[in-house]
Amino acid sequence: MQTILLMIFQVVVIVLIAPLFDGMARKLRAKLQSKQGSDFFQTYRDIIKLFKRNRTVPKCSHWVFRLAPFLLFATSSAILAAIPITYSSNMAFGAYSDIFVILYLGALLRFVFGSASMDSGNPFAATGGSREQMIGVYVEPVMIMCLIVVMLAAKTSNLVQIQQMVKDGIIGYQIPSFAVASIAFLWCMYVETGRKPYDLAEAEQELQEGVLGEYAGADLGLVQAALILKQFAMIGLFLTIFEPWNFSNPFLAIIVFVLKAGVFYVAAVFIDNFGPRFKIASSLRKNALAALAISFVALTLYVVGV
Amino acid sequence: MISVYVLFLISSLVSILLYNVPKMAVKVGFGLSAVSCFYGMSHFVISMGKNDSFVMFGNFLFSPNFALTPLGNFFSFVVVFIGFASSVYGMSYAKEYINKANIGVFACLFNLFILSMLLVISANNVFCFIVLWELMTLVSSFLILVNDGKGTLKAVMIYLGIAQVGAFCITCGLLLMAYYAGSAEFSAFANLAMPLPVCVAIFILFLVGFGSKAGMWPFHVWLPLAHPAAPSNVSALMSGVMIKVALFALVKFTLFLPISIYFGLAILILGAASSLFGVLYALCQHDYKALLAYHSVENIGIILLGFGTGIYGVAAGNATLGAIGFLAGCYHVVNHAIFKGLLFLCAGSVLHATHTRDMDVLGGLAKKMPWTSVGMFIGIMGIAALPPVNGFVSEWFTYQGMLQGAMSEGIFTRYIFTLSVVALALTGVLVGMHLKLYAVIFAGTPRDKKIWENAKESPVGMILGMLILMIGCVGFGIGANFIVSYIMQAVNSITPSTYSANLGATLVTSPLGSAISTPLIAIVLCSTMILPFLILAVMKANRTKPRETDPWACGFKYSSRMQMTGGPFTGDLRKVVDWLFKGHKKIVTNGYFSPVEYHNHPQDIWWSLIYKPIIEFIKMLAQKIGVFQNGYANVYTLYILIYLCVILAVSYFVI
Repeated sequence: MQTILLMIFQVVVIVLIAPLFDGMARKLRAKLQSKQGSDFFQTYRDIIKLFKRNRTVPKCSHWVFRLAPFLLFATSSAILAAIPITYSSNMAFGAYSDIFVILYLGALLRFVFGSASMDSGNPFAATGGSREQMIGVYVEPVMIMCLIVVMLAAKTSNLVQIQQMVKDGIIGYQIPSFAVASIAFLWCMYVETGRKPYDLAEAEQELQEGVLGEYAGADLGLVQAALILKQFAMIGLFLTIFEPWNFSNPFLAIIVFVLKAGVFYVAAVFIDNFGPRFKIASSLRKNALAALAISFVALTLYVVGV
Repeated sequence: MISVYVLFLISSLVSILLYNVPKMAVKVGFGLSAVSCFYGMSHFVISMGKNDSFVMFGNFLFSPNFALTPLGNFFSFVVVFIGFASSVYGMSYAKEYINKANIGVFACLFNLFILSMLLVISANNVFCFIVLWELMTLVSSFLILVNDGKGTLKAVMIYLGIAQVGAFCITCGLLLMAYYAGSAEFSAFANLAMPLPVCVAIFILFLVGFGSKAGMWPFHVWLPLAHPAAPSNVSALMSGVMIKVALFALVKFTLFLPISIYFGLAILILGAASSLFGVLYALCQHDYKALLAYHSVENIGIILLGFGTGIYGVAAGNATLGAIGFLAGCYHVVNHAIFKGLLFLCAGSVLHATHTRDMDVLGGLAKKMPWTSVGMFIGIMGIAALPPVNGFVSEWFTYQGMLQGAMSEGIFTRYIFTLSVVALALTGVLVGMHLKLYAVIFAGTPRDKKIWENAKESPVGMILGMLILMIGCVGFGIGANFIVSYIMQAVNSITPSTYSANLGATLVTSPLGSAISTPLIAIVLCSTMILPFLILAVMKANRTKPRETDPWACGFKYSSRMQMTGGPFTGDLRKVVDWLFKGHKKIVTNGYFSPVEYHNHPQDIWWSLIYKPIIEFIKMLAQKIGVFQNGYANVYTLYILIYLCVILAVSYFVI
């Protein structure tokens, strides 16, 4: 029971805090591009304003499109809840906080995203939905290879236990395969957060976030909040496995976690800003192949027993 | 169990007697099969963990006797469960066939088909097994012919051809085993001792024989032809259940052999290949029933991953690994039967309403057919293994089993297991793309106004059939720990182990020690679902009724032709794996003002790689042999005489 309360607590805190970091990232990006930029709280203001606006929906859409903002928000909060931040000492909660649960909740998110984009009837939205799936195809094999190495080293897929083992130094960077896997996983995490080299979010109408094309008002606000949450959740997954150092007190833990994740989140702006833009069919593929090679090295290191 | 079989026999006899009154045959024939299936379901659930057998009365050639092990009970349950849903569905659906076919015969064959599958599962000697196996193939090919349409005959011929090759392999394998056992009874097959080369030969024969029936890559070519051609409730049975019977037989007979770990690894490799190729070919289909048929190839692959792990475990003497592998395989068997059955029934319902199998002319049907659309949505969630629904649990077990296997010794073994995990994960992502199956048919705007306007929701009976499987989908996901304890009874009869899969009230656990609780996942998802509503309420969001508009089209007038169809949705992927599809690209332009036609038809390269050369060779051979067939009856008699003499001479001098 206490764990469930802690779970709710961590989700609520991150929901409240995440837009602040988004605002900071935007400010930083503006500065890097020699622009003035808005202040840190702009994302809150944007979302609040969206909540006040009227909504429109395409005539042809049905419940899949109309429920999607809620489903997306619920799924990304569910992923966040699965990351053991505040309940890191409760091993039994691996029943929810399992690596495969997180992976397949991610798939659920993608599934809802794609269905809603097709349901909107908007050609750009559907193209966006298709690209979202394609990114999944590129990222998922790399991600699972890294995670296999971790799971095999830890001999469990229980995320709480894995986190504890890394903290206690039972597994960790002293294992070469684990260290190599962390590199490839960092790439996956970065792609999954949907930042620029892999996601041209500035040209939202046509490209990956084109799915948002038909949303308006409160729906749009919810979807945007859900995407920010998902970005936090993905960074959280990386931190939990590869950098889990934290306090065991839930309140301190959540503060440290938010700071750590926030730093990653804001720092991503650098790559975002200076990196090139990738075409999904050619450049991302080469990039993904490189990451795949790294993760394959990690896997091979495990297989030969190093 | 004999009562269940007799009930099916009576139902089929009653159905054939109604051949003159089609309207009654629809209700009575399929109604009787529903009743029999329901009785069978309760029977098999109650006697899940027991052994059962009977000897047929009378004195037949081989004194047929039938026996059910706990594993056989489990597979029989799967057969009658899907049979129940598709019979209920059939009670309304078969009306469509009143003018096309004789319903009495249809219902009779339908009952006979279920009966033959049940008997194949319980057959207890070589002769019975082969006869019943062929009966199952024949009955199903007749059932495909019920839907007499363009290309049906070709589909049946290919189906029968591949089934024939398969049956030949099975017969050879079983006869070899019977030779070494000194008896044709399966009960004498346990602990067979035979030289290794023979053992390997038998295993390969079984892989080809049962694999071709199960639709394993590269013997999968008949599925996308035969399943779309059959009536939908029959497709549900063929794809959901018949291919599982082949898997059951594969596991049953492989376990009789003195197995080595390489058998398990071979099954794993074939499973990984099946799942990947199956899903990739499914992606580019425009015929939604063919798409589902390719998905069967994929899911057979996933099941084989489970069974391969199990067989590896048994061979390596690791009972726990064996148990988790078989558990994963069996669980996916029942899950796949349920969601694939559901998807085929929904596809049948769409076909019933629109009379087209091309999904690119549909669209926006969700408003017309709400129940069917929900069914399809749940089915796709199941097939994509999304958490609260059933597919997730069995894939989780498959992952856990393979991870366990990847920890064993030996670089080769580790590689196979880890790469199989990657293949399964990749399959999982690719299946996610199959939201296009839902989205192109049910979402968006109608692409063809006329079809859309004529479409209407199916009658109650069909919805009821789908509803049973929808409840099954959700129930087998959330009630995982009950299901697991049932399946473990069957698994423990294969490999007794100390591993117990359900822990506590809601948890299911793997031998690795990881556990998941599906009810908890459902609860968390439901409670996070409250969160956005709460936020909207707290923020006093504007919840006035949304204004309905046309989708945005860059300022142009919106036309339903602008929206995405199935082809481009997977276009990026098709470009990446073009080596596998060898698509024929063709662009036809007829002047500036007429629309450009763009064709890109992917093809199954395995057909031209494996089947075409063989067919060409046989054709050539037939040309050459043709001279023997000259039409003189007396020459034919001479052939028979010569053959007889040769056989007699061989048996006298050689053996």
